[in-house]
Amino acid sequence: MSSETSRMKFMCDSSRCIQCFACSVACAEAHDLPVGISRRKVVTLHEGVEGKEVSVSIACMHCSDPPCAKVCPVDCFYIREDGIVLHDKKKCIGCGYCLYACPFGAPQFPRDGAFGMRGVMDKCTMCAGGPEKTNSAEERRFYGQNRIAEGKVPICAAVCATNALLVGDAEDVSAIYRKRTSSRGKGE
Amino acid sequence: MKTIIVFIITILMLTSMAYAAESMIWGNMLIGNILSYGTKDSLNMGPLFTILQSQYFRNIFLVIVIGVPAVFLMHYLVLGARFFSHDGKKVYVFSLFNRLIHLLAAISFLVLIPTGLMMIFGVYFGGGPLVMTARHLHGLATALFFLAVIPMFFFWVADMLPTVDDIKWIAIFGGYLSRKQSEVPAGKFNAGQKMWFWIATLGGIVMIATGAAMYFQDFNLGIASAFGLSQIDLLRASAIVHNIMALLITALFITHVYMSLFAVKGAINSMITGYKEEQELKYLHSSFYRKLKAQNKI
Repeated sequence: MSSETSRMKFMCDSSRCIQCFACSVACAEAHDLPVGISRRKVVTLHEGVEGKEVSVSIACMHCSDPPCAKVCPVDCFYIREDGIVLHDKKKCIGCGYCLYACPFGAPQFPRDGAFGMRGVMDKCTMCAGGPEKTNSAEERRFYGQNRIAEGKVPICAAVCATNALLVGDAEDVSAIYRKRTSSRGKGE
Repeated sequence: MKTIIVFIITILMLTSMAYAAESMIWGNMLIGNILSYGTKDSLNMGPLFTILQSQYFRNIFLVIVIGVPAVFLMHYLVLGARFFSHDGKKVYVFSLFNRLIHLLAAISFLVLIPTGLMMIFGVYFGGGPLVMTARHLHGLATALFFLAVIPMFFFWVADMLPTVDDIKWIAIFGGYLSRKQSEVPAGKFNAGQKMWFWIATLGGIVMIATGAAMYFQDFNLGIASAFGLSQIDLLRASAIVHNIMALLITALFITHVYMSLFAVKGAINSMITGYKEEQELKYLHSSFYRKLKAQNKI
């Protein structure tokens, strides 16, 4: 969060992720997410195969050029100055187009309408709430906590025990990752 | 009655099973989907859908919903409507069943097309509950259309097969480009009506299938794998096909309404009462008229 052109990014270091699900659980708990919705998912590939097993935590990646915002028929997305991609649930019609455009499968749809019909889209807000008044009850009900406004780190990265999940300005995140990879195997 | 109930319960159980199974979008396949997004080896469905939806679909729909009626308005002003004597004999052409099924299809189209357009132009309606309601109505009207489309296909399909008349009809644009009242080569249905029939029935079934895929979203009925697609690519393909098909259907629907309400005055009566003016048949469906004459049915 140093330069003026800072863009907030997530990064999951798969060499550190131990598939503890803390990020996913903390997120669901912090934002009172409905059953069946997890804004952050932990996926493990090659489970049980020695040397090949790898886990990674995935949520909205807050793209610099988000395809979801391009395809939305009601234009409900907006991008904050710091690069966090948010959406307005009062505009969203739950059509699902953002999910088709998204490379990361981030948008999800709680079945909260009458007869279990698909409701409005829900996705990771990087703990930055939504368009409603910051830290208002309404913002909290629709989008969960606004930790960014409180000067806190997003809950998923805050609880990550191995510091696999990094969040912050893209340059800072890549600097940390670069340091990690270059110093690997050089310690004691 | 019992079989129907068993049938309904079975379908409900199957769909709930499809739902209960592990997610086909947000499960482990997520990694594969991410890694293949937009790569050379993939089908490029994600980027393709993004480009089409963000830059083309809404604009093309705008051209259709303004352009097609504008062309017909010009036609109406320049060449005018066709009039046929309503005093002559009438010929019974559509049975009560035909008309009821057609009415059902008409009602569903009158809901489907405006609600569909409301979603496409949702940004101008401000989104939110209004457009969301349009989306739900779009789904409900699909059920009505589903009831209509199958009987409609079967009771008209024989009359809708292409004939030599159709080539002649297309060559002279059905005679709609001249003021002269001449006998137009056509059977019970002309080439334009046939085009509309095939687009509305077979195209309509494609619309139901692709729409249902998008509606149910996360299901596992082996459909995606049968096409060699991932579930998310099936949804993307469905959205693309649904939109392109909708363009055709919207354009032809406007044409159908123009022809029956404005271009041929009183043409809609045959779909209400079942009786068509003899004069109208003689000129606009000449081959059919001659056939009926030969069979002494007039």
